Amino acid sequence: MKNYLMLNNEVLNTYKTLGIIDRKKDREATSDFFFEEINRKTMFFHTLEEKINYIKRENYYEKEFLDKYSFKFVKKIFKLAYDYKFRFPTFMSASKFYSSYALKTRDGNNFLERYEDRMAIVALYLAQGKRKDAEDWIHYLMRSYQPATPTFINVGKKARGEFVSCFKIAMADNMNSIAHNIGNALQLSKLGGGVGISLTDLRCAKDPIKGIENRASGVIPVAKLLENSFSYANQLGQRAGSGVIWLNVFHGDIEDFISAKKPNADEKIRLATLSTGIIFPDIFFELARQDKDIVLFSPYDIKNEYGKTMSEISITDMYYELLDNPNIRKLKRINARKLYTDIKKSQIESGYPFEMFDDNVNKAHPLKKIGRVKITNLCTEIMQLMETSEINDYDEVDIIGLDVSCNLGSLDIHNAVKEEDFDKLVNASMRMLTQVSLLTNINNVPAVARANQEMHSVGLGVMNLHGHFVSQGIMYGSEEANEFIDAFFTALNYYSIKASVEIAKERKNKFYRFEDSEYASGEYFEHYYRKELVITSEKAKQALGNVPIITIAMWKKLAQEVKKHGMFHAYRLAIAPTGSISYIRSSSASMSPITERVEVRDYADSRTIYPMPYLDNNNKHLYVEAYDMDMFKMIDSYAIAQKHVDQAISMTLYIKDNWTTEQLAKVYIYAWLKGIKSVYYVRQRMQTIEECESCSV
Amino acid sequence: MEVLSERAYIQKRFEKVFEAVNWNKQLGLHEVFWKQQVKQFWLPEEVAVSKDLLGWKQFEFQVTYMRVLAGLTLLDTIQTNVGMNELSRFVKKLQQKALYSLFGAFEAIHAKSYSYIFTTLATNSQIDEVFEWVKTNPYLQYKASKIEAIYSAIKEDDDVSLWKAHFSSVMLESFLFYSGFFYPLYLGGHGILKNSAEVISLIVRDESIHGVAVGYEAQEMFKTFDKATQDELKIWGYELLADLYINELKYTDDVYAETGVGGKVKAYVRYNANKALMNLGLDTMFPDEEVDPIVLNGIRTDSVTHDFFSQKGNSYTMANVAPITDETFNFKGYNI
Repeated sequence: MKNYLMLNNEVLNTYKTLGIIDRKKDREATSDFFFEEINRKTMFFHTLEEKINYIKRENYYEKEFLDKYSFKFVKKIFKLAYDYKFRFPTFMSASKFYSSYALKTRDGNNFLERYEDRMAIVALYLAQGKRKDAEDWIHYLMRSYQPATPTFINVGKKARGEFVSCFKIAMADNMNSIAHNIGNALQLSKLGGGVGISLTDLRCAKDPIKGIENRASGVIPVAKLLENSFSYANQLGQRAGSGVIWLNVFHGDIEDFISAKKPNADEKIRLATLSTGIIFPDIFFELARQDKDIVLFSPYDIKNEYGKTMSEISITDMYYELLDNPNIRKLKRINARKLYTDIKKSQIESGYPFEMFDDNVNKAHPLKKIGRVKITNLCTEIMQLMETSEINDYDEVDIIGLDVSCNLGSLDIHNAVKEEDFDKLVNASMRMLTQVSLLTNINNVPAVARANQEMHSVGLGVMNLHGHFVSQGIMYGSEEANEFIDAFFTALNYYSIKASVEIAKERKNKFYRFEDSEYASGEYFEHYYRKELVITSEKAKQALGNVPIITIAMWKKLAQEVKKHGMFHAYRLAIAPTGSISYIRSSSASMSPITERVEVRDYADSRTIYPMPYLDNNNKHLYVEAYDMDMFKMIDSYAIAQKHVDQAISMTLYIKDNWTTEQLAKVYIYAWLKGIKSVYYVRQRMQTIEECESCSV
Repeated sequence: MEVLSERAYIQKRFEKVFEAVNWNKQLGLHEVFWKQQVKQFWLPEEVAVSKDLLGWKQFEFQVTYMRVLAGLTLLDTIQTNVGMNELSRFVKKLQQKALYSLFGAFEAIHAKSYSYIFTTLATNSQIDEVFEWVKTNPYLQYKASKIEAIYSAIKEDDDVSLWKAHFSSVMLESFLFYSGFFYPLYLGGHGILKNSAEVISLIVRDESIHGVAVGYEAQEMFKTFDKATQDELKIWGYELLADLYINELKYTDDVYAETGVGGKVKAYVRYNANKALMNLGLDTMFPDEEVDPIVLNGIRTDSVTHDFFSQKGNSYTMANVAPITDETFNFKGYNI
């Protein structure tokens, strides 16, 4: 059928049967892909001008942003992009780019863009007429900065989705809010977003309604409604929307919530496609350590008694108060260890629920005086405060709170360290993200729109950490690796704050209630004053390239700048899992270890084989696969990075199928102790029959 | 009056002594295979085959695809109703009986899985038609009757006929299924009907245990035969395989005629015939040749990477539960 798919598949076959990495086959696959498919399907134009005019005339590009430049300048930006002589390094990168990102004709038969074209359009669009910015940014785009998928796909196109795709919304305990948020889920799903929804404030099953006992249905029926909403709005059949619902572990419906994800649950309550996550306050682990029961509460009682919703209070602080208060019903007692074992069982069998460590998040939260972080998003890296909207009847005005949208982008670490001026790279990246935030208005979900206007949150992240380590002869999880992480993320944090101050100064605008933040009070910077950052390992120094070591004096100076001018962004850093965009850049994903030296990737549209970056027959041993890695060591690396990231890091755990629930529990508890904020999926690798036979015969 | 021991009394009173299956004893590899099979428990409903619906509507070779699956349904039906039942009935070890019953249950799930795909994708009249076709296709009926006859010929306390049935079971699970498995795996690798291909790959994951386990038991039995019997059985086995192989070629020509992939299917059939022989501890019959790498990658049962927008993934399994203890909270010696 397709020769290039054969060639690409041979890479895995050769590796699995002979243990050899055959990059030549992959390159042949890539060039065949161009000969057989791309070159034939790419529309031909004599000149760039002819091409741009055609695309504009046929309404494929928005006109407005292009009209802000002379054609001569547009041509210059394209030339700068093409001067890099970019070639796709792997078949995966080429096929992913053309299948998902390149502009196609409406009938889907022809390509109108190459990689360089897409990058040039991103630079021109985001710069919105500022020539200096466009000239600057095209270089970073070609080298070391990558916008997240929704931005990269949509920018400049006339028929397009939104630039942001990550949302968090909060549901309150009344029918207006439930209906409103189901509407929000539909709207955001229509935009192709992933949505996190807090259900912690909904009253439990059998709670009273209008004072009549045993009436409420609890969170599961609402979850089913949400699940159906997400599958209905499915991007014209391309992919179903995605959502995650979050519940506090002390909520009365927690057991139903855990059961709902079991593969053998009753269809009426089973959540087949909706993801789930549980919020764990510290007190839960404390009780588990003492082998005590936990007591479940109803948000209904809490609201009636304290005037606050369950998600607005810290259960850790309030637990014994709630126990002592006779007006708070003790719905059920469950042994904490047993409950946690059940959760581990569900994680091994289904990958769910995700976990968020409530106190780790809120203790480290620089805006804690402004509001609580109640939940996280679908990939568990966004940690922003929320205020629940008050949705009233038709004849009254709604009080719009703060939900969350976040636009993301990533530095390719391997190329970032080579940039002459790391400060400028981070600055440019922050500016491109800021532009996305300013150009976004999700007006159908007003609390998202309001938060975006007042918080200007962005999420700058990274990719290719493991790839970079291998290229430098560094083993993931080693001392030198951790020194690198410490220094790199310190610099990333430092320069992103510096950029945020600069932008605040220029725009004369600070984020909502900046004065109440720990940036303004200076508390945020204190942990950097304790000890100078010293890099002892030569390899780590080498690997850091041009990334400066940030000194205490630099931090002190920056803290003053912050105090004086404020910051534009309430939130700056978040390390997303980077799926497709790291394939396009032939990078390893996020800061995570690779899962397979030669990866088999199944997307809706193709099965593609992807040998890891810089992998050759000589450095195979450096690429330890995540499943063979010590998870405690991996968590150590994440914990070091987490200290420098204001939001969170999407962290997946990797286990083998002979692990027990207890072993898994220990890893989670370790992560909690180390200050990790959230855990995304648990993935496991099955031992095949050959392996299990050989170890027992 | 003669005083009988309790045991002797029972033996006298009843013709047969009933024994309870005791899993406390390690007897061979039954428990290893059992555990692996249970661990990978799955049901077709967990895979969102409906996501293939749009692709199905545009798919050119619907009839071929349905026939391939219907052929597989027939083989799995026989393996459920006759194969594993008969093997289980005549083997002596209780753990082995239990193992084969478990395998039988999985065969029933497999047979139902194809219907799950049909029901999701095709119309009622299409489905009725293809089940009629199964009854009239000579090559399909030939292999079914051939294997069924050997299953039905097992005699009590006759290891030779029992070995032959084991041999046939491996032929079925490791060889004859694959002319059918080829198509969904091949298409799945090209991005066509991927979720249905995932159901098939879950089936393949089970069949590979069945082939290895039954093949292993056959080898154990084979060792107990004298040289003359061994030689005789080998000749019988290779002749059966050759006979089935010729039928497979005709079946392939018949079913895959329009699609142009017949040659690849045949290479794949030979490749799997060799694998079946290896499971039985016998020398391979066909020379090594190149098999379509996309299909080979499709049956690599180690996990494939998925993201949350894609299919279920075949990498989640039953958990081993162990209680959390004080030791779980002891991090002495850890980097805390």
